Amino acid sequence: MLKSRYGIGAVLALGVLTGAAFAQDKPVAGEVKEGSLKGKTLTFVSYGGIYQDGQTAALKEFVDKSGVKLLNDGPTEIAKLQAQVESGNVTWDVVDTDDLPPYVYCGKLFQKLDLTKLDVSKIPEGQVGECSVPAMNYGVVLMYNKEKYKDNPPKSWADFFDTEKFPGVRGIDGSGSPTGGLLEQAFKYAGGDPKAMTVADIDKAIDVVRKLGPDTIFWKTGAESQQLAESGEADMLMMWTGRAMTAVKNGAKYAPAWQDWLVVMDQMTIPVGVKDTDAAYALLNAYLGKNAQEILTEKTSYTPINSEARPKVDASVAAFLTNTPERQKQGYKQNFKFWVPNFAVAQEKWSALMAGN
Amino acid sequence: MSALEPTTPSAPQRAGWAWRPYALTLPALLLLVAVIGYPLLTIVLRSLSEPQWGLQNYAWFFGAPVNLTVLQRTFTISAWVTVVCVLCAYPYAYLMTAVGPRVRLVLVLCVLIPFWVSGVVRTLSWVILLQDSGVINSLLRSAGFDGVRLIRTQTGVVIGMAQVLLPFMILPLYSVMKGIDLRLVQAARSLGARPSRAFFTVYLPLSLPGVYAGAIIVFILALGFYITPALLGGPRSTMLSTLVQTQVLSLLQWGRGGAMGVVLLIATFVLLALAAPVMRSRYREAGRR
Repeated sequence: MLKSRYGIGAVLALGVLTGAAFAQDKPVAGEVKEGSLKGKTLTFVSYGGIYQDGQTAALKEFVDKSGVKLLNDGPTEIAKLQAQVESGNVTWDVVDTDDLPPYVYCGKLFQKLDLTKLDVSKIPEGQVGECSVPAMNYGVVLMYNKEKYKDNPPKSWADFFDTEKFPGVRGIDGSGSPTGGLLEQAFKYAGGDPKAMTVADIDKAIDVVRKLGPDTIFWKTGAESQQLAESGEADMLMMWTGRAMTAVKNGAKYAPAWQDWLVVMDQMTIPVGVKDTDAAYALLNAYLGKNAQEILTEKTSYTPINSEARPKVDASVAAFLTNTPERQKQGYKQNFKFWVPNFAVAQEKWSALMAGN
Repeated sequence: MSALEPTTPSAPQRAGWAWRPYALTLPALLLLVAVIGYPLLTIVLRSLSEPQWGLQNYAWFFGAPVNLTVLQRTFTISAWVTVVCVLCAYPYAYLMTAVGPRVRLVLVLCVLIPFWVSGVVRTLSWVILLQDSGVINSLLRSAGFDGVRLIRTQTGVVIGMAQVLLPFMILPLYSVMKGIDLRLVQAARSLGARPSRAFFTVYLPLSLPGVYAGAIIVFILALGFYITPALLGGPRSTMLSTLVQTQVLSLLQWGRGGAMGVVLLIATFVLLALAAPVMRSRYREAGRR
């Protein structure tokens, strides 16, 4: 099954390749014309650390071939970008953001993408937005302490919210913005239907989180969540897959409950008002390529967004990649249509919870 | 701080040269206007003009209970930090004046070396010390106190902030204490005062200007703390700067963020204005004695 799909993909890619030879302007993911950006400079903005290092490594081929000078900046802050757009002096050419901003500020801070300039054919279904393509995939997964729960481990978010059946300290992402998927799961636990959520329901969802009690830990950084797992201070943790993988690798006695893991992706965007839009498109298109995505995964352990990418990773990393058919079936996608217009309200209410109210 | 220095040098005045001292302050003034005055003005303007002109951002601030709770908490935590700093710094600064030069050097270095280490680094080491499975809790546990929560509590935040801010208390205190003539204490003793009496009626009042100077610096710096409460605290110890950050960085509500900043600034001014007469009268009293 996998093999034949790969075969079809290869044939398709070949088709596209030959097509590209005839129609010069049809872009192919990962390809860039030799020397086409000589003398130009692009500034790529992301979140730093091994993630941005991996992205830079993934873009090395693009840089070498096109002759562009690539500058790195970061971390991404939408407020900084807003200041640049407002003052008409945009120095960030390609920006990696969280899930929602490209949808919330589409057309205002981020350009609507011209898909004739990008090859999005290998991106998993449903991930291309009006103003963004995915930068990588990862997940938010429920991790539990194996020693604490032994033969009766939590299996879903419902168990995560049930402090009677599963006593113990919870750790939740308190790094800033609310996680839409988690609130939907909380609302479901309160007896609601996430697909029919209304603004008033946000309160009900947040109440479920509040009821987890004063012992609940809201971790501020990925590193802190990892630390909580490694020191065993929390019994159940909501964790980013990359951090969960590293914690387990470092000896944390935690295991994932994959049911309804929350699908998350970073986004690649081009801000409104960049000086050379075509150069920015060229970077994006190169980033989407098979090779680039393989390098990205090998360096960062995040899931590639090119369906043909076959990164070489060891078993511990592979265990936390989210693009296997099994994981794809278990994943839970947040209701984007609901969260985009209600982002500000949700953030306001979530911040109040974070401030102890 | 210089305003609280007990002596004012009386320089010979020459007509026509009086503007010179002012001219010398020009670089500092320009810097202040450029990096504090102008941005501050922008903040005030944005708080009044975004999204429209009006007081909407202030109405929002005072209409949301969470803001008021956090504002009050910000002042409470800062006050506790100031108290802890005074209590820790006073004996330390006194010791610095009482020992020989070599020990004093060691004591000064003990204050300054952490001062040169970034606050973030120090805060992170507090995370390691204060966490549930950390050193302090293990010690407490072996001493029979089980389940003490330090990290993610207000206590933890106060401990961490006090350590970061301690040099700002010790240094002004020391500079005042080293100017106190210890013969005054000896005189009091020779007139029959017990040591405690000599301390409370002679030494303490003379050292108060240093306490005030340090306390003001620590209190004001504490009000704006961001990293330490964010890393050491939990929801119940969130300070105003974190809320400002949410408004500006994740909601792009510069107006609201600005309004919060302005409210904090004004509240600080009011508090200092209320405290000033007390300090001044105490200072005068101390001078008279």
